[in-house]
Amino acid sequence: MPEKKKEKISDDEEIRELVVARLKLMSPGTVTSIGSMGTFTRDQLIERVEKGDEVGETVTNIEMEWLRALKDGIVRKLYE
Amino acid sequence: MSRLLITRPEHDYATRYLSYWSKDIIKAAIAKDIEVVDLHRGKAAKKELEGRLRKINPTFVVLNGHGSDECVFGHNNEELINAKTNSDLLKGRVTYAVSCNSAKKLGKACADKTTAYIGYNESFVFNMERQYLSQPLKDKRAAQFLKPSNQVSLSLIKGHTAKEASDSSKRLFSGTIKRLLPSINQNPHAREDVADLFWDMNHLVCEGNGGLRI
Repeated sequence: MPEKKKEKISDDEEIRELVVARLKLMSPGTVTSIGSMGTFTRDQLIERVEKGDEVGETVTNIEMEWLRALKDGIVRKLYE
Repeated sequence: MSRLLITRPEHDYATRYLSYWSKDIIKAAIAKDIEVVDLHRGKAAKKELEGRLRKINPTFVVLNGHGSDECVFGHNNEELINAKTNSDLLKGRVTYAVSCNSAKKLGKACADKTTAYIGYNESFVFNMERQYLSQPLKDKRAAQFLKPSNQVSLSLIKGHTAKEASDSSKRLFSGTIKRLLPSINQNPHAREDVADLFWDMNHLVCEGNGGLRI
């Protein structure tokens, strides 16, 4: 039986659009270091998310981890 | 006597920032009479690191540089430590690796009762301002990330345990997030930085014996 291919979070069109919308709000002067993957400008990050490559996947995971935490009440927990 | 061995590769923007901001760690160690071996730039090489680990036998190791699940890299991304080949060199010490993903496999490989490995099990992410790329120490945006990162080392130097140092760093990440949250709607930097700070805070882990001191 063929192995089930692991779905990438960045394959979800809605999630990708959400992440790109958030990235577009970043100032153009921002340069982001993402570990060993390199350093990227805002526009380069947007490109990578739209492409859905490893960098895009990581950026998507970072954004979604924060958004999920917001939904789960992280702000309240932080100020407790 | 405590001894600190620190690697400071400096071949791209990220490693340059880590290298510059690590000067605070070196200063703090010297102030506490901790002997410091600074493997800067080209000295952040495998042969140099292995030799110094064996000869100097430091109690505390700080590894700056890029990483993977199994490795930590040095200057020009030369592999320094690999979970499969020479991770035993980190045994019996407290290591803090500002190296992406390395806590996932390398950290677990060397962790045991006599060893603590503090590091990240995902990418370490930080934001910089373009205007300060050539002056890392003036970059207040990057400082938001690198000060909490440095707190691991500073806390260990003060005499805290590995777990306490990791928790102290997380508190600083958390404090920075709380400080930025009220301005999140007006300040685009804040909006992006809180997500990245939250990621780093969550993925900082302490493997091995968290009760160890340096």
